[in-house]
Amino acid sequence: MKNPAKSAPDGAPEDVNRRKLLSWLSGFGLFGSAVIAALANLIFIKPRVTYGAPNRFSIGKPEDFPPGARIALDTRRVCIVRDGDSLAAISTTCTHLGCIVAVSETGFACPCHGSHYDQDGNVTGGPAPRALSWYQLTLAPNGELVVDKDNEIEAGKYLKV
Amino acid sequence: MSTQTVTRSRDGWLALPGNIWRSVFRNPLPDSDLGRASTSFTNFFLHIHPVKVSRHSLKATYTFGLGLMSAFLFLILTVTGVLLMFYYVPSTTQAYDRMLDLRGTVAFGIFLRNMHRWSAHAMVAVVFLHMCRVFLTGAYKPPREFNWVLGVLLLLVTFFMSFTGYLLPWDQLAFWAITVGTSIAGYAPFVGKDVRFLLLGDSTVGQEALLRFYVLHVAVLPIVLTMLATIHFWRIRKDGGLARPPEEDALPGESSTPGPMEVVSAAPVVMATSAGAAAAAKPLLERKQYGIQGLVRGPITKVGNISDRSKFSWPSLFQAELLVFVITVAAILVVSLFFNAPLEEPVNAMHPPNPAKAPWYFLGLQEMVSYSAFWGGVGIPTIEVLILLLVPYLDRKQVGVGRWFAKERLLPNTLFITFAVLNVVLMVIGTFFRGANWEFVSPW
Amino acid sequence: MSTRLSLAIASLVVLVVHGIVFYDQFLNRWEKHQTAYLEQARSLAKTDAERQSIDAAKPRIEQIIVTQFGESRVDRCTTCHIASDDPRFQAYSQPLHTHSYSASLGDIEKNGRWERRHKFSDFGCTICHDGQGRGLDTFYAHGEDENWPQPLLGFATQANWKPAYKAKLTGAEYMQSNCAQCHTEDSFAGTPLVTRGRQLFFEKGCYGCHRIQGLSHGTLGPDLTEVGKRWRIDYLWGHTVNPRDYSAVSFMPKFDLNDDEIKALVVFLKSRKGMNFAETTMDQYRAKLQQTSLPAGVGANADNTPSAARGEQLIAQRSCTACHRLGDKDGHISPDLSYEGLIRDDNWLMAHFKEPRSRIPDSIMPVFGFSEGDYRSITDSLLSRKTPPNFKTGEETYKGLCARCHGEKGDGKGVTYLYLDPAPRDLTKAAFMTTKPEERFLTSLKEGVPGTSMPPWERVLTDQQRKDVLDYVFKTFVKESRRELKERKVPETNPVAFTPESVNAGEQIFLQRCTGCHGRKSDGKGPNSLDISPRPRNLRNSAFINHTTDKRLFTSITYGVEGTAMPSWMDYGLTQTDIGNLINFIRSLNPKPAAAPAEGKSPKLTSRLTVRR
Repeated sequence: MKNPAKSAPDGAPEDVNRRKLLSWLSGFGLFGSAVIAALANLIFIKPRVTYGAPNRFSIGKPEDFPPGARIALDTRRVCIVRDGDSLAAISTTCTHLGCIVAVSETGFACPCHGSHYDQDGNVTGGPAPRALSWYQLTLAPNGELVVDKDNEIEAGKYLKV
Repeated sequence: MSTQTVTRSRDGWLALPGNIWRSVFRNPLPDSDLGRASTSFTNFFLHIHPVKVSRHSLKATYTFGLGLMSAFLFLILTVTGVLLMFYYVPSTTQAYDRMLDLRGTVAFGIFLRNMHRWSAHAMVAVVFLHMCRVFLTGAYKPPREFNWVLGVLLLLVTFFMSFTGYLLPWDQLAFWAITVGTSIAGYAPFVGKDVRFLLLGDSTVGQEALLRFYVLHVAVLPIVLTMLATIHFWRIRKDGGLARPPEEDALPGESSTPGPMEVVSAAPVVMATSAGAAAAAKPLLERKQYGIQGLVRGPITKVGNISDRSKFSWPSLFQAELLVFVITVAAILVVSLFFNAPLEEPVNAMHPPNPAKAPWYFLGLQEMVSYSAFWGGVGIPTIEVLILLLVPYLDRKQVGVGRWFAKERLLPNTLFITFAVLNVVLMVIGTFFRGANWEFVSPW
Repeated sequence: MSTRLSLAIASLVVLVVHGIVFYDQFLNRWEKHQTAYLEQARSLAKTDAERQSIDAAKPRIEQIIVTQFGESRVDRCTTCHIASDDPRFQAYSQPLHTHSYSASLGDIEKNGRWERRHKFSDFGCTICHDGQGRGLDTFYAHGEDENWPQPLLGFATQANWKPAYKAKLTGAEYMQSNCAQCHTEDSFAGTPLVTRGRQLFFEKGCYGCHRIQGLSHGTLGPDLTEVGKRWRIDYLWGHTVNPRDYSAVSFMPKFDLNDDEIKALVVFLKSRKGMNFAETTMDQYRAKLQQTSLPAGVGANADNTPSAARGEQLIAQRSCTACHRLGDKDGHISPDLSYEGLIRDDNWLMAHFKEPRSRIPDSIMPVFGFSEGDYRSITDSLLSRKTPPNFKTGEETYKGLCARCHGEKGDGKGVTYLYLDPAPRDLTKAAFMTTKPEERFLTSLKEGVPGTSMPPWERVLTDQQRKDVLDYVFKTFVKESRRELKERKVPETNPVAFTPESVNAGEQIFLQRCTGCHGRKSDGKGPNSLDISPRPRNLRNSAFINHTTDKRLFTSITYGVEGTAMPSWMDYGLTQTDIGNLINFIRSLNPKPAAAPAEGKSPKLTSRLTVRR
């Protein structure tokens, strides 16, 4: 409704500059407010906390995962892999259409459409377009492992404990 | 219709931005009266306004922009309300937690809630003041009777909007205010208990009531209010703009005491392309072409460049409206910056606060209820609303229209002021002078 | 022109407010705390990888969502207290302080590393600490906001708390009440205050009036099963110290408690939240069925002990002296039992135990619901107290026996006066004292006043001692000599026959004239009664009314009672017949037990007759 470029109608010539200035000031104020308000609403809409399952969680101590273990945490949709003293967290969400892949002897297999992955999550068959994601795994100061699903890392990057 | 509205098309990529701009805004900034006129009616947002508007209607001290202000407050409420809906959950277990989140976690959450809360209070107050303005200037006289009725309905819907919103935070204040408020409704004869049951969906305020109030608050009532308000605005145009004294419509050279308004307004000024009839009436209007927009019921249709007591809506009216908008927004923003919306203890259905008070605009009712449950809660309010609805049909004399506190209207004005002041006094007593056990206390 | 100017100004105001609000959103305290933490953590980091991940970290809201204990909780405390589980920050100050490790919390030290028993990721914070888990600034998160019902236990106080108690309400020990939500064992080592509070609950006789599901079933006071859920510790403290500060109509006695005892009681009460995370619903249901009323030890049956000696033990175990006086122990609430053997007899005591109100209709003594044998033993023990006191002067007698109720100053405000109904007579009211015949006072002293707490002193005091104490009262408190009243014309017995018509006529007069003070139920609790001292008589106090002669009732109604609010109804036009009808009505409310049925048999019926309407 508001048109910031609104100019003064004809009037006394000496007033024209003053009118113009005031119009520009109002325009500046309102346009600026509109921009800030729009930005603020964007920030407002973006949740700063989530109400579902947290994306960053502790999974216990490294000792809980013996060398050679491949333990899928189904509720968290992540598989903890331990190879010697190297640990990694691999997503168990199929990259095809989001089913939960099962841990198989050769790696991972999706029950929905038959995608297959190797032990590092690379696609070996089926319709899956990409390899499974690797999530950042860190050792928290209290000695527990923390998976951060917001933070994908390149495949093959292990945490040494 | 006019040469200005014809789009001057140009070819080439360089002209593209200009062409797009012109396709949206058909008129360049007007520099002639014709341009000002077409700016008004070629813009979707502006076309509900007349091209020219009486100087009397533009006077700030005549309307104080109250009607417009309530419309803008509703706009603010809609915007902030929709935003708040993103985080609100109408569930007894979550509603209060979401309030805490709005306050603590969500960016700008508390500010938006403040804006919504204070705008809601302001809207109730401004709508009431708007009604006072219309009454005290005699603006409900024919042909505007029905618009007054619409206004009264809008007032009621506003109350109800505010009331339903009151429950949503699900804190002690909300819970007990609604408990008290709906109990007042329960005193209505024959239907009271059923109305209360329908409203609450249960015998007490609980999850069902919260859901029902939520649906009423965010869907049903806003739609009803929008429709009523739209008709309200439309009627302003169709009833010939804002009410004003007849001499405001007198044309130059015409006697300053024209015939009774009803005569003029009773017969719509239908004007055809033939100038014959008009020419017979007014030599000045000779050889004028009238467009279809001339088919408007009202004392006079503003066409042509007759020097009368009116101004072009662009820019005078739009500037004034914009000012009302910006002032309203500024006031709400400043209040929201300094005062936080209340959030009391989470609901505890076992421990009512003492005193348990309804929202402030119902405290007049609650005060009356403390004397007589039926008369205070149902009888007197019903009579008040009925009288308000009937006023324009009872008081039809065309005197004192468009002037504040007209001498000719001493009796109705006095009655109305008494009515308004009485209600406000009861509200003030209920708000500030009632303490524990509804006993009289001094606020000092 | 002015429109444009105002428009420009208003627009700029809008812009400025938008700017302030927008800018303000980025000034969160928690972000500063997190930035400080990250800086420190970076300097403490040992490996490059660690440093890199810290560099990549940005401040964000941390939260722990706990669902396994009752309702789901969202705790965002670790947003500020981000180092609480980082052992490297033990030397830092709050909020960047490591939560202490302690063996008493069950934490285990292994190879120099502590391991928590209650992992924060499982328990969250507010389950132990209270406070508002969703808040992100100290005012709200710590529950300093008066509208938040659970401020941090022992660490935060609210602005509206009484300053006198505030200092006493801080200390980590208050958190024991939350430990007890799961650790419900009667004597859990981690919650000594809860254990002590539970003991006090029985020792001080609280259980007699209050119900706590699974512990007690008193009905006189409010149910305390969920008292800790609703009330903050300041209220619990204040209400325990002086109930009337919070509720003017409370008749809960003011107990003699020291601060440590109050604290234990407060912690115990705060732990009553009506839910128990460790218990299953089935457990709760079983507990409800079981309704254990007394903790172990209390009322343990000691065989082979003589009944009286066992009664002595019971009196000690069940803390009768929390209210009563017995020898040198005094609860300052209810009558002195030191000479009970000389005052009451077996029938009276047994009936009174089973239903205290059968003897004193407005007694506040709860029905304790002990076994018949226990009552027998306590009665025997009380009846064995037959040593009369040896007072030499009237003054000694007064101070030894009377002052406890009638007050040191004789104004009827002794330590117990609040809990006695009818209240003790104000002996300084000369108008009353000087107009009643001396025999009446001597009779009251000798025989007591039935239906009230004034006991018969006949066997406790000699005739001479009673005379002396009356003289002392007149000399010290009344200070005026007796007035001889004009002779009053009062019939000795009611001349109006006791017929239904007479009773009906009396009821009509009563409803018109008397209900303002004596109440519609004739129980002395009319709307004006609160402003009157002494309070209007309860006309349903059968023990009292049946003991009062027609002549006295006639005198009181016809001529009024000097020194009280009872007016002379003769002046208001009541005739002798009217008064006769009234007396018949009053008598009809208090039927005499027909031919004295067996004592204690349905005592309720005699005192609780429904009003005929």
